[in-house]
Amino acid sequence: MDIGSFAGPFLPEIFLLAGALLVFLLDVLNVRRNEVVGAIAVVTTALALLFVVADLGFAPFAGLATIPAGAIDATPSGAPLYTFTSLGLVFQGVFLAAAFLVSLASLSRPSEERGAPIFYGLLLIATLGMVLVAIASDLIFLLLAIEVSSIATYLLVAYTRRDSRSLEAAMKFYIIGALSTVLSFFGASLLYGAYGTTNLVAIAHVAGTVGYPVLVLLGYGFLIAGLAFKATLVPFHAWAVDVYDGAPTDVSSFLAGGSKKVGIFAFFLVFLAPILYVRTAPSGGPFTTGTVALGPVLQLTLSVVAVLTMTVGNVLALLQKEMKRMLAYSSISQAGYMMIGIAVGTAPALAGATLQVFAHVFMKGGAFLVVAGVSALGVGPLIEDWRGLGTRKPVLGVAFGLMLLSLAGVPLTVGFVSKFVLFSAAVDARGYFVWLAVAGLLNSALSVFYYARVLKIMFFDAPIPRAQPTGAVVGGSEPARLPAGGLGYGRAMAIGIAVAVIVAAGIYPQLVLGPIQNAAQHFVNLGI
Amino acid sequence: MTSLAEIGFVALSSALLAIGLFGILTRRNFILLLIAIEIAMNAAILNFIYFAAFSSGTAGLTGQAIAVVVIGFAATEVAVGLGIVLALNRVKGTINVARATELKL
Repeated sequence: MDIGSFAGPFLPEIFLLAGALLVFLLDVLNVRRNEVVGAIAVVTTALALLFVVADLGFAPFAGLATIPAGAIDATPSGAPLYTFTSLGLVFQGVFLAAAFLVSLASLSRPSEERGAPIFYGLLLIATLGMVLVAIASDLIFLLLAIEVSSIATYLLVAYTRRDSRSLEAAMKFYIIGALSTVLSFFGASLLYGAYGTTNLVAIAHVAGTVGYPVLVLLGYGFLIAGLAFKATLVPFHAWAVDVYDGAPTDVSSFLAGGSKKVGIFAFFLVFLAPILYVRTAPSGGPFTTGTVALGPVLQLTLSVVAVLTMTVGNVLALLQKEMKRMLAYSSISQAGYMMIGIAVGTAPALAGATLQVFAHVFMKGGAFLVVAGVSALGVGPLIEDWRGLGTRKPVLGVAFGLMLLSLAGVPLTVGFVSKFVLFSAAVDARGYFVWLAVAGLLNSALSVFYYARVLKIMFFDAPIPRAQPTGAVVGGSEPARLPAGGLGYGRAMAIGIAVAVIVAAGIYPQLVLGPIQNAAQHFVNLGI
Repeated sequence: MTSLAEIGFVALSSALLAIGLFGILTRRNFILLLIAIEIAMNAAILNFIYFAAFSSGTAGLTGQAIAVVVIGFAATEVAVGLGIVLALNRVKGTINVARATELKL
């Protein structure tokens, strides 16, 4: 095998690594202007995204595909560390889109801002880890890739190094993240003891021959706990609100839109095979007490977690007074919807969950980008501070309104399509999964309350007098250095792209729905 | 596979994990928290090593290789944690986790 054919499939990863190293090199060479290092991050993520889209076989770019035909969704032979699945490629695209939007929006930050190279370098390394998660087919490879992205995000939260709020957020994030790593690795070690391997392909093929039900159950239990921290599932969600609140808002956008989905995809990878195939049977020995059909146990556990997550997230979001904390709780409840996909475990349900993940990047990631832009204009952190913003900044107000409507699941937005696909898949699966769909629908109705409250405050309440943009500006000199409607071109473009995707995929869902459904079907057939 | 030894080893690593988790939940000093995290991490590493010792052939080698890699990663994580402690100490003048209460509503 020559180096070219080996490196080919890994072009996105190589781009990300090269981009990160280039940014750090420029930092050493004292090139620290935000526009310069930011442009590198934008170009890098855009190129990587282009190659991932090409590998997925979308028409205009298919010629650029670097993964040899037939290697995607091929039945893996032996026990490989990585496998290319089309669902994994979809998630790679989602992660790269989140990184692209955040780096594009961050271009509009002041060009002399401290720590810009650190921000973009860490962003690229975190994205590298996430992209590696999407091709993992070994439990240890998966956990180490998650670690790569987590360690970069701990630092990303605190990259300013001066703000005590973001340092506190980083500290909480670090402690919880390290705890989750410990639990995940302990679970993986128990599974290694039971199966004799950590390879997910091999584990999927030992169906019916596992002799250690207790070790297997404990192992999967610890893995659920460890990965649930990453995916912000109740009861392991409390850190997310403080971290999203305390982190610089662009970083919150990356955490909510991108790095949280790592946990969701890890759930897909780790739990699909046991739900579909694995049965544990007694074979004598200390840990063998009775037969356990693993699938139903895991499905019930994940269903309970899903319902708890969406309900707790929504109820607490109702009570919030700060915009970022409200969005953070709404982000937790969205993770609950995504978990329906793996709890049901059928191809349509996985497709719905994937579509929800796809939509969430643009809805929630975009919403956090708007919040970052608005707070740069001098608007306070409370929801009340947004009074009359819709009339003062109509375009921005409409964009933010569309994102909130999409989060609530209103028709003609992508949020409606994803919830429709997801809930109808749960109903089709029969059994108690119908109640998952019911819980999801009730929660969607509940969530409309707090989204509509923001819309009312933005569009129908009179603005606070002192925050008027005309006359003596309270926000100091900030509006002066920000062109293009006060947001900056980069942020305006990122928000525009997010809104365009929300509306386009909402009106014409086949744009993304078909490929995602195909990918999910292949993923279930493969059954890693 | 001698069953008695296996139970003993799993009990040992579970005890280590319990000690580590107890430390994570009760300690208020960030440095001691880091030590507690390391203790809990070592429970997983120990698991890999003796499950490797009990299995034969390449499966055993896998476990040992994983143990080495995970030790390296744990060290990286602690380095990052110490970095956060330093920055925190410089800004707040304390590394007491309980004093970090700005993000409550």
